[in-house]
Amino acid sequence: MLSRRTLLERTAVGFGSLALASMLADESSADTPSANPLAAKPSHFPARAKRIIFLLMSGGPSQVDTFDPKPLLTRDHGKPFPFAKPRVQFNSTKNLLRSPWRFRQYGESGLWVSELFPHVATRVDDLCMVHSCYGTNPSHGGAMMKLHTGSDNFIRPGIGSWVSYGLGTENANLPAFVTICPTLAFGGVNNWSSSFLPAVHNGTALGDASVPSEKAQVKFIQNSKLPRQIQQLQLDRLNAMNRRHLRQSGGDASLEARINSFELAFRMQSSIPQLEDLSRETPATLKLYGMDDPGTANFGRMCLLARRFAEAGVRFIQVTHNDDKVQWDQHNNLKRDHEKNAAEVDLPIAGLLTDLKQRGMLDDTLIWWGSEFGRTPTAETEDGRDHNPEGFTMWLAGGGVKGGFRYGSTDDYGYYAAENKVHIHDFHATILHAMGLDHERLTYRHAGRDFRLTDVEGNVVHELFA
Amino acid sequence: MVSLLMCAVLLAPEAAQPQPQPTSEQIRFFEANVRPLLAEKCLKCHGDRKQWGGLRLDSREALMKGGESGAAIIPGNPGESLLIELIRETDKDVRMPKDGQLTRRQIDDLGRWIEMGTPYPASTTGTQHKRDPNHWAFHPPKEQPLPHVKNSNWPQTPIDRFILATLEATGITPTPRADRRTLIRRVTFDLIGLPPTPQEIDAFLADESPGAFARVVDRLLASQRYGERWGRHWLDVARFADSNGFDENVAHGNAWRYRDYVVESFNRDKPFDRFVIEQLAGDLLPFDSETQQHEQLIATGFLSIGPKVLAETDQAKMRMDIIDEQIDTTGRAFLALTFGCARCHDHKFDPIDTADYYGLAGIFKSTLTMTKYTKVAEWHEHLLPSAEAKATKADFEARIAAKKKAIAELAGRGDSGAGLQPARNKQQDDKAGSKPAPQIEAQLKKLKEELAALEKEGPNLPSAMGVTEDKIVDVAIHLRGDPLKLGEVVPRHAPPVLRGPPVPKFSDKQSGRREFADWLVDPNHPLTARVIVNRVWRWHFGKGLVRSIDNFGLLGERPSHPELLDWLARRFVADGWSIKSLHRMIVMSSTYQQSSSRSRETSGENESLTTSAAGDPDNRLFSRADVRRLEAEAVRDALLATSGQLDTTMGGSLLKLKNRAYFFDHTSKDLTTYDSRRRSLYLPVVRNHVYNVFQLLDFPDPAVTSGDRATTVVASQALLMLNSDIVMQAAGNFAERLIADVDNDDLRLTRLYAIAFGRPPTPDERRADLAFLNRVEQAQSNGNTDIQRKKAWSTLCHVVLASNEFLHVR
Repeated sequence: MLSRRTLLERTAVGFGSLALASMLADESSADTPSANPLAAKPSHFPARAKRIIFLLMSGGPSQVDTFDPKPLLTRDHGKPFPFAKPRVQFNSTKNLLRSPWRFRQYGESGLWVSELFPHVATRVDDLCMVHSCYGTNPSHGGAMMKLHTGSDNFIRPGIGSWVSYGLGTENANLPAFVTICPTLAFGGVNNWSSSFLPAVHNGTALGDASVPSEKAQVKFIQNSKLPRQIQQLQLDRLNAMNRRHLRQSGGDASLEARINSFELAFRMQSSIPQLEDLSRETPATLKLYGMDDPGTANFGRMCLLARRFAEAGVRFIQVTHNDDKVQWDQHNNLKRDHEKNAAEVDLPIAGLLTDLKQRGMLDDTLIWWGSEFGRTPTAETEDGRDHNPEGFTMWLAGGGVKGGFRYGSTDDYGYYAAENKVHIHDFHATILHAMGLDHERLTYRHAGRDFRLTDVEGNVVHELFA
Repeated sequence: MVSLLMCAVLLAPEAAQPQPQPTSEQIRFFEANVRPLLAEKCLKCHGDRKQWGGLRLDSREALMKGGESGAAIIPGNPGESLLIELIRETDKDVRMPKDGQLTRRQIDDLGRWIEMGTPYPASTTGTQHKRDPNHWAFHPPKEQPLPHVKNSNWPQTPIDRFILATLEATGITPTPRADRRTLIRRVTFDLIGLPPTPQEIDAFLADESPGAFARVVDRLLASQRYGERWGRHWLDVARFADSNGFDENVAHGNAWRYRDYVVESFNRDKPFDRFVIEQLAGDLLPFDSETQQHEQLIATGFLSIGPKVLAETDQAKMRMDIIDEQIDTTGRAFLALTFGCARCHDHKFDPIDTADYYGLAGIFKSTLTMTKYTKVAEWHEHLLPSAEAKATKADFEARIAAKKKAIAELAGRGDSGAGLQPARNKQQDDKAGSKPAPQIEAQLKKLKEELAALEKEGPNLPSAMGVTEDKIVDVAIHLRGDPLKLGEVVPRHAPPVLRGPPVPKFSDKQSGRREFADWLVDPNHPLTARVIVNRVWRWHFGKGLVRSIDNFGLLGERPSHPELLDWLARRFVADGWSIKSLHRMIVMSSTYQQSSSRSRETSGENESLTTSAAGDPDNRLFSRADVRRLEAEAVRDALLATSGQLDTTMGGSLLKLKNRAYFFDHTSKDLTTYDSRRRSLYLPVVRNHVYNVFQLLDFPDPAVTSGDRATTVVASQALLMLNSDIVMQAAGNFAERLIADVDNDDLRLTRLYAIAFGRPPTPDERRADLAFLNRVEQAQSNGNTDIQRKKAWSTLCHVVLASNEFLHVR
């Protein structure tokens, strides 16, 4: 028999354990529903953003081809890189390789965007670009785990799980952390698992990168063989059996919790598919996300689902752009594949930004666009770049950050973060800050130590906030 | 406010009176009743983090010093103590704790404690004691006399004397023995991980002679299913997996040999000291036969099956990361200590310095784990030489030779005029300008490709993951863990804080794994025996005597029954490190055989005693049995067994991938299938993507040592039971089995309950189930009646398989 506290910590009756908490409450008046591990919790200080949508471009889009133009790179094309290359590189690269795309300034802010992102370019006055991101690991696996969990050599909770742990969910019938079509490679489940945090903070995955978003489902959410009417009969009989067993066992909180979990599961069978049903979205909205075009429909659906989950109160929604290759990993065919990749996401991302703004949700929804690293300004092949964790661009929008703003810079060629460097840990600290969480106070005691997302590092980049 | 503070200050000198040495009885009372109560109800607001009202309750001094309202206690005088006054207070605004009144019993306990002089032994988890070399776990277990107990009828094994002594000291009466059906179900799941069959239950119920239960236990321990159950427990500790996980999730194509070795070791009751030595240094042990040699080589897989960042581009870092994983796993698995911290800095809590860490690192750096560090790196495998392997190798070499010969001949034929010469290399031929004819060139190309493919495939000789010796080195301290910033070189050594065994001597001829392993299993070692005894206890009871199963260090928990732990550890060593003897001692105890009932009525015999439910609500003192959910593997095995589908074939690999092939690459397609009917432990264990049925049921992360699986209750588990194919199929097969076995609904119900729950249905249950069957049948309403009835039975079986009674033992 578990203690009540342990039970509540371990109990993820899901997606809505308010009922559990109140059910247990009659055992002692001491516990209020706030003992429910997924109940919405107050932030450490007033939050700018209530929720996050993380748009992960898996594989590493090239900063010097998208948002960080480098005139010297164009000028010195074909010449050797004039500075030392990093001690540890993924592959070896040759001389400088200019970007095949032109950059232009957009909006009132005049931020630069390459012709790869013509639609996102129309929203630059909402974007807060961080050009000086850097990490420590040049391999996809290590870098992906670093990006998600802050660690590349231990299994740790992902940032979505930390946010769930810190803030809970606003909707008692939904998880706090949902990840849409995540990749199973490069850390796989570790990137959205709660690790040592209570299981309730695990990311709930809709499908994975091997299925189109149209078919992405929560595991076991539906029974294809039994009609609902029969399931209802089963549930009634099950309930009676379990009540008898509970009496025989002399009462046990975890047995009671299981009884309740079945009723919640049964309700979820209808609530989750309802959220995934886009039939009531207007044609205009569907078009906004590019759902009318086969090239953008897959990623467009993910972005639209993200908005729907955000509206329904999910705290952390991750959307992964990852095809059956490593989507943005252009060691070669940079020209062809970066164009294809950008075309798949450009319109839907712009649509998401527009839609959120129209609905008044952009103010308290933080959008995070990024990847595990960027790419080298030097050529790995004639038409390809290697992994580069030394300096790359990620951007934020909404959620209280400055729009039309750029922060930090890379060197003249875009290889190393140079000015106002922002490490992954700093980025994490900043995102938690936007959510009203102090990364030094968001701790969990495990194996005798208080753990943090940012380990012993991390500085909030206050300059990003309006 | 000021005056209150002054008051506290003025009281302070008086508080300086020393704490009288508490008796062991008093300490036991405090640890059992008071410390957990203070920790749970008080210290959140009056501890090291917060001091509401300026008050701390985490030491005797702090209690006497008090807070803004003065001293919290007057030792020996509960009536005058402010603490008691406040917890008794009826006004909710004044009463402590703020979030709800303590129970009568808790208030009495605190009163009794103050009355006995408020003994407050320092907690070893307190920060003031960090890095304490006198910590209990760093010294060998002491000889412990069996405690005296009043109720001499209750104890059946020495364990019971220790458990009962604590219960009597705290005034709790143990819970009566469980009924026989409950007992056989509990012990069968516990020892072999499967439900008892109706025949086994009937035989046990019919056996009225003394020793009936002991015979059941002997039967279970002799079963091959036992090693599959308990071997799997060890595999949790050994972080066993069939894939690397991490960044490059490639197949451990030969890890299954280690798994089979573990199962076999448990089935043969291999002495645990031997088991430890084989896993750390099996390659260095003498052997009498080829079989023994293989077994010992396979055992070293323990050091090799950890997760590795195989695409780490910094090779020096990769090497130290792998060594780190080995040190950390070895430390946790055998010593329940965390060495990993000391890679970068002296351990903050345990007296383990970076020098001690690099003293161990030398042992593992002198050990060869990898054959290649360039990405993607490759681990070493032992070839398992045998007649069969020799034949395979010879056959392979013959095939290579044949291909080469064919190529040479063909090349010779094309090279006109030089037909009898052995083929020179192609370049020379080309330079000579004698180009072979186009069709010969094509044939040649094909042959060469075949040769390359054959060479790449290799002879596929039986091999096992494992380690061997490397160049013997001592390692320099890596400052802050950085392989580029080296400090002083430290000789290989075992952590000196662990007292008892003689200090091992390391030679420059061997890595030192053998010496280290011998040191670990020295009978006087403070940790090895205690740690495994505690693990076995945990696997039987759901919690350990030390609750922090994998951490016996200063941040771990203190044992609830320190004398029992020491006694068991010493007895275990004296019994030849026999795990099966330990099982017998445990399951034959009255402690183990208690019922899980939480009746609040006292037995009436002794008014001063209280029940387990009232006096030991969290069952910290083992005053009843806990209701426990089956582990992931047991759930699946029980589904298969119940539906008559279990295939008990042992051993071997169910992996469909070649060794070192990718489980997943970037496509995210999981090609692993789990549609086998074999026992769960034979299913592939894929890091980063554990079989979803297992993952939902709390299978531990197979990348790290885990001796204490969690049991969660999540709605997704309910979805699994309601909607997954595995449960639906089991229900269908179960229904078919019932329909084939007996030909009327009444008999079928009897059989259903016997197989699934190990008991007959009550008349009420019969009525409810028959009504359910009819309703389901009506709801379907069309089609053939036999099919409808079968479907109805299947939906009923589904309910039974999803029920708490099926999924729990009590």
